Amino acid sequence: MRKEYTCIICPNGCGMEAEIEGVRVIDIAGAGCPKGQEYVEQELTDPQRNIATSVLVENGILPLVSVRLTKPVPKARIFDVIQAVKQIKVVAPVKIEQVVIENILGLGSDVIATKNVSAK
Amino acid sequence: MNKLYDVIIIGAGVVGSAVAREFARFSLKIGVVEKELDVCCETSARNTGVLHAGFTYKTGSLKAQCAVEGNAEFDKVAEELDVPFKRTGKVVVGFNENDRQSLLKYKAVGDANGVPGLAIIDKQTLENLDSSAGGEFAMHAPSSGILNPFIYNIALAENAKQNGVDFYFNNEIMSIQRKNGFYELTTNRTVYQARWVVNCAGLNSAKISSMLGIDGYTLAGFKGEYFVLDKKAGRYLTMPVYPAPGPTGGFATHATPTVDGNVLVGPNSELVEDFEDYGVTPAGMEELMTEGVKMFKHMKREYFIRNFAGTRPKLINKETRQVLDFVVEARAEAPNSINLVGIESPGLTCALPLARRAVALMREKEELIANANFNPRRKSILCFAEQSREVQKELIAKDPNYGEIICRCENVTKAEIVAAIHNCLGVETVLGIKNRTRATMGRCQGGYCETRIAEIIQEELQKKTTEVMYARRGSAMFTGKVRG
Amino acid sequence: MAMIKKDVVIIGGGPAGLSAAVELKKQGINDIVIVEREKQLGGILRQCIHDGFGLTRFKQTLSGPEYSQRFIDQVEELKIECITDTTVIDITSEKKVIAASKNGLLEYQAKAIVLTMGCRERTRGAISIPGTRPAGVYTAGVAQAYINLYNTMVGKEVVILGSGDIGMIMARRMTLEGAKVKAVFEILPYPSGLPRNIEQCLNDYDIPLYLSHTVTNIKGRSRLEGVTVSEVDAQLRPISGTEKEYACDTLILSVGLIPENELSLACDVELDQRTKGAIVDENYQTTTDGVFAAGNVLHVHDLVDFVSLEAEALARSVISYIKTGKLDKCDIAITTDANISHTIPQKISGFKDCKLSLRVRKPMKNCEINIMQNGKMLKQVKFKKAIPAEMIQIKLDKAELQAVGELKVVVR
Repeated sequence: MRKEYTCIICPNGCGMEAEIEGVRVIDIAGAGCPKGQEYVEQELTDPQRNIATSVLVENGILPLVSVRLTKPVPKARIFDVIQAVKQIKVVAPVKIEQVVIENILGLGSDVIATKNVSAK
Repeated sequence: MNKLYDVIIIGAGVVGSAVAREFARFSLKIGVVEKELDVCCETSARNTGVLHAGFTYKTGSLKAQCAVEGNAEFDKVAEELDVPFKRTGKVVVGFNENDRQSLLKYKAVGDANGVPGLAIIDKQTLENLDSSAGGEFAMHAPSSGILNPFIYNIALAENAKQNGVDFYFNNEIMSIQRKNGFYELTTNRTVYQARWVVNCAGLNSAKISSMLGIDGYTLAGFKGEYFVLDKKAGRYLTMPVYPAPGPTGGFATHATPTVDGNVLVGPNSELVEDFEDYGVTPAGMEELMTEGVKMFKHMKREYFIRNFAGTRPKLINKETRQVLDFVVEARAEAPNSINLVGIESPGLTCALPLARRAVALMREKEELIANANFNPRRKSILCFAEQSREVQKELIAKDPNYGEIICRCENVTKAEIVAAIHNCLGVETVLGIKNRTRATMGRCQGGYCETRIAEIIQEELQKKTTEVMYARRGSAMFTGKVRG
Repeated sequence: MAMIKKDVVIIGGGPAGLSAAVELKKQGINDIVIVEREKQLGGILRQCIHDGFGLTRFKQTLSGPEYSQRFIDQVEELKIECITDTTVIDITSEKKVIAASKNGLLEYQAKAIVLTMGCRERTRGAISIPGTRPAGVYTAGVAQAYINLYNTMVGKEVVILGSGDIGMIMARRMTLEGAKVKAVFEILPYPSGLPRNIEQCLNDYDIPLYLSHTVTNIKGRSRLEGVTVSEVDAQLRPISGTEKEYACDTLILSVGLIPENELSLACDVELDQRTKGAIVDENYQTTTDGVFAAGNVLHVHDLVDFVSLEAEALARSVISYIKTGKLDKCDIAITTDANISHTIPQKISGFKDCKLSLRVRKPMKNCEINIMQNGKMLKQVKFKKAIPAEMIQIKLDKAELQAVGELKVVVR
């Protein structure tokens, strides 16, 4: 059957139309790059998402440090990831790309800081 | 157990605060009980900010007498209490013969009331006075003026506080009993005792009057909606311009500059059941836009900053629906009480004259000893934005917080915000800071400064995130922290 | 107040100001200062913790703070002077800049001023939503600042008005932090933000998007209790009888961004009524000599990568200006048809390569943008799909341009 998709891999957000059979992509139109087809295939088998959130900072000039994942994780596990992130805090100074949680929930993705926060 | 007061005043609007200040001239233990979290929350905060001349009130009425009296003394009052005020004068414009008759009628009333300087002027004189006013002729009332109603109310209350008056916020009067020669006032949180009670409850004055045992007053609520326009629009308007009153005497939509340079368009008038329903309505806004642009051609969408509404608590004859005069009385049914009912426009202008009449009613029953330490003067928070560059430099040198701009639209500094947070009345709301400093009143409506103000409140007052109140009781701004 | 002389004063240390500063320094202008009112550099990117920044520039999709850090690092390496926690309170057409800081009032005399102050959000009051004024009504950027910078959660039951990117980003952000976002309402018949965000911010969380709807009443005395939502007609007017009530404690408004140009007006800069930003030429110079503008203060951008390019182009013009004292006269006006809202720049010289930035007014499929001068077609660009949410940029070679004659930009 034909299904429409909006790719979320980059801000171009290509609108695609794919011919699907089960979890296989027979044909695809509208993708701006090969990642488009990869995205649809992933959506059919095991949708993945990256998220951005915040971690509490102790003794920093800011109360929170923004973080993201190094790799997307299963969409179904997003809220588990958020719960895990809520439990921890980091002590300032924090640097961009510093690993805040390694291999979160065993999903193969690290939680890394995306902002520098100096100590008070 | 709270102490026994000589006088408890119910309501901290402009009337209650004026009464508190005037009673403070005497050696009395005075307390003000207010249901909201700050002074100036209801009608006192929702009006056009005008010092009326007094030409629309029936000759001999309390409204007329108090308006003329309050108007005459206001230069001195504004100076004593450090209240922004400009005696701009007002023009009431007309286009046709009906208008001319209407203006002549009000001039006669004004003259009889003792309003100074009223004159019917021609088109040329009108244009010389205010180039944006439309009209073939007008009545000029040179004694009218514009003031900041929030600062005036706050100033009266702060002056009262500085002279020993206690203020209790977040206390709504639920019942009043007379026991052993005293009044026991039960609020939602505690009980107060007083020898005298003064009812300054405005919107709720008929309700409090009944609690005192004085029944029979009916208030009708007339909602008025307003548009607030950007200061850019304010450059075109230097004085209030009103259309000639219609046959019933009311003024149609008009445009008034505020003392800070904004423009208010409104109010309209609509009977409402719920006096505290301050919702602005599509019909009301439509009416203001259609009528407003006739009076003020610069009423453009790009200048709209916000809307608000207020309720006029008019005392009426229940049968005839006729609007009655102010009531200021001491009745035998409620000994040692002073009852003020139905105070609406010109309430700001009449506040101190009414307060003095309240004091006079107590003096008829008791000797009052003067408070030798009474100081009638009070200072507002210094406004950084209005100072010269030299003074600004000195201020920053003395207190670096003057160098941190918090509200960029109005150039309000951290020093002013901190001073407002530590106000002598103990008010802790964001709106309280807004009314004392003008922060959040600009075109971005707090888009830049509100986050900072909320942070400074928590720091200065050691408040939890969930305890930051926006304005009214129960107006928590936040549900908690995101983390921790 | 001792006057400090500077070649260039840059007002605003967000992505536009940072990019301009780095380019100026790299090209040999040393006497620069960035004046930033926040305590840290980075501008609005400090609070944009989601990804999508830097795709064209760095071939990565970074978060906002990471993107701005790339430039902040260069500012530090190049030892460009910055003062933070300092607010410019006045500028004059003679290029004097007065700023307030904890250390006192600073006065600069600049050879050139770069305006990069960004934009503010349209407010509830500006669009006159009926109803009361309780706590709980927040513009999306303010809610984002509370949540991401101040560690403060603004509410639990949320309705969002406006399907601009910020509104949709906040729908996701608040959902991730435990709030229930009931719906997003959009007054136009098409979404205002990127399709990618509808997918990953709304569809992912089953948050419905209702087009051609708006909030027509706000209820609650102290804290928001609910809103009334109505359908709107083709003229965007609420249709009586279509009202639905939504209980909520938070209303997020994402109803437009307005370039913040009060300081620009102080130095007599003329604004374009269509953009609310300055009228500029191909050098990004405003109508006030030696005053330049780029970034959101000039026109609201969707991609920060374009902001950096724009600011760098501005910087190169500022360098010419400082070295020669003036720039080419730009007398060729650029006009548009009704399908295009505006172009930046609004005028060119005809002697320089330039880049036109523009947006279509409504979504269009299979259209052509034609640029004509003196009746001749200069350039034709075809689009399968063009939406207002995505800024379009078209390069013009100086070889294609004539010295005289208005440029017309039309859509077929």
